[in-house]
Amino acid sequence: MGNNKRVVVIDDDANIRRVMELKLRKGGYEVITAMNGEEGLNLIASEQPDAVITDIMMPKLDGQSLCEQTNHLKEQRPFLTIVMTNRISPDDRNWVNEMRETQLMEKPFSPSKVLARIDEYFCDK
Amino acid sequence: MMKDSDLFHGFLSSLSGISKLDFEVWDANGVLFLSDPDRSGEVDFEDRRAFSAHIMNHASYQRASGQGRPPMLGAPIKYGQQTIGALIACKPDSMPESRSKDGTTGKTHDAKEMETFLTHLANLMGETWANQKDVEEMAEELSQNFEDLSLYARISTHLKSLKFSGTMLGALIEELQETLRVDLSFVQMPERQEYNAMVSATGLSDRISDQNAFVDNLLGLIPRSTPSLEQDYFIVNDSGTIPEFRELCPEPYRFLAVKVGHDSHFDGWLGLVSFNMKEIFRQSELRLLQSMAKQISVLLANMDLYHELQHFVISMVKSLVYAIEAKDVYTRGHSERVNRYAMLMAERLKLDKTEKEVLNWASILHDIGKIGIPESVLNKPGSLDDEEFRIIKGHPEKGYNILEPLEQISESLPGVLHHHERYDGRGYPHGLKGEDIPFLARIIAVADTFDAITSNRAYRSSKSPEEALAIMDQVAGTQLTPDLVEVFKEVFETILKQEFETRHDGQGCGDKAIESTHRASRR
Repeated sequence: MGNNKRVVVIDDDANIRRVMELKLRKGGYEVITAMNGEEGLNLIASEQPDAVITDIMMPKLDGQSLCEQTNHLKEQRPFLTIVMTNRISPDDRNWVNEMRETQLMEKPFSPSKVLARIDEYFCDK
Repeated sequence: MMKDSDLFHGFLSSLSGISKLDFEVWDANGVLFLSDPDRSGEVDFEDRRAFSAHIMNHASYQRASGQGRPPMLGAPIKYGQQTIGALIACKPDSMPESRSKDGTTGKTHDAKEMETFLTHLANLMGETWANQKDVEEMAEELSQNFEDLSLYARISTHLKSLKFSGTMLGALIEELQETLRVDLSFVQMPERQEYNAMVSATGLSDRISDQNAFVDNLLGLIPRSTPSLEQDYFIVNDSGTIPEFRELCPEPYRFLAVKVGHDSHFDGWLGLVSFNMKEIFRQSELRLLQSMAKQISVLLANMDLYHELQHFVISMVKSLVYAIEAKDVYTRGHSERVNRYAMLMAERLKLDKTEKEVLNWASILHDIGKIGIPESVLNKPGSLDDEEFRIIKGHPEKGYNILEPLEQISESLPGVLHHHERYDGRGYPHGLKGEDIPFLARIIAVADTFDAITSNRAYRSSKSPEEALAIMDQVAGTQLTPDLVEVFKEVFETILKQEFETRHDGQGCGDKAIESTHRASRR
């Protein structure tokens, strides 16, 4: 199933990074991880990922700022962003709606559902 | 067996570059790595396959040399006690025959060093591989924990709501099915069949045509006692190994069922069936299922208690109604008739289920406050004096006060309190006007007025329904809500008229007749 799609996983929780890395690798994706928003931002710029999975509450740069700062990149080169949060607030919904190709998912998440979402995104393309 | 041997690719390649040695890594399935990929086509490739097998069989360092070929050296790669692969090194450009004549001591020394080096390297590879495998297994386990956690989170929100319904269990089972990715999930409770639910994967019907019968048969095969049942579960890991289970479906499946019940009470089974024999039911899945079953049974117990309480309240309220009607001979059956008229109007008004429920209570209880009014006043023939009238007018508030402590019917209280308000604002107790009067109270007012006119009262005898409707028309807009009078007239025309016509007693006191049709219709 090697599809050469590249996914950047950004979360300060090492367990989440590990789990998502394993799950996505098994699903045929190439995975790069970052442990804070700043690292994530750099990776998105340098690696040109096809999808990004990011936490909201993170050190250095939070998920919302990360999305806002990478949103313009999607004009030229669209990619999926999945934003993970503990409790989806109306506020989160609002700003996520403003972003291109961005979806919200609630924690605790099911790794297989995240994989399914990403698969779905590329299927629809 | 040794997947991801790419761990060593870079290392072995560079090592090969500086040492003039070629390295190969093999496992039971074949070659995993060649530092010189061109060699895969060489004639001695099969020899090397045999050599790797030889190393793995002996699980020890081996050396091979033969006719005109460079010698091959190899060390086993171990994972615990198990040999999982072989690391082979050869010196492609060495001339074994000529070298051997150089001097044996040097060569032995060389060979010893080589053995130590290769063995160390192989051990290192084995350890690294084992570490990687451990990490992967942990990540896999972690991943499963994440799945369980997310399932728990979603299921607990389902379970939190007390509004228990058959569809809710259905949603629960669907979540379970989706997350555990089995082929069939179900909850079967013989005495609560309305809550039974079953969800199957697409394509299951090809394997099992009658899924209900299949589940019934499965549950029927669960023995009365077996050790696992002491922990309230039953498991079949491979139906192929148990004839009774194999009979149900030729294709092997696995089956897990957990008891739903509380205390010693048995409600039914929560179960899973999967045809994916590559996996097994995991401990965490069993735990998840067990905790779901526990929560379901707690919920069922709560629901029973809730219904019991509800039933108790209903009976108590009914006896209250009978108590007032016993005091006031003239109004016997009045509450039930008003209740029926109001509910017929509700039907016509297409009120939703909750509103109907609220109206139901309010209409049956609207006169409950009369329990606090002396019989002498209630049953007094002729007109009342001011004081007596004041007492009578107190009944909506008295009713409100009586019912206030009953939480279950709190929403019905406005209907009781305001059923004597008038549309023009001249009613009691608060003199509310028009739309300010609660809607349900205005419905009750219409139903109440109709029954009052068509029934005997201490102070006058009953009038015909047609007369009653005429009077109601006159007071529409002053006493009653015009739209609701219209609604009542429609109800009368379509349903009530016929009932009144079949009552042929000339006395006009049709209480018994209506009461009996009413009761009959409620049974």
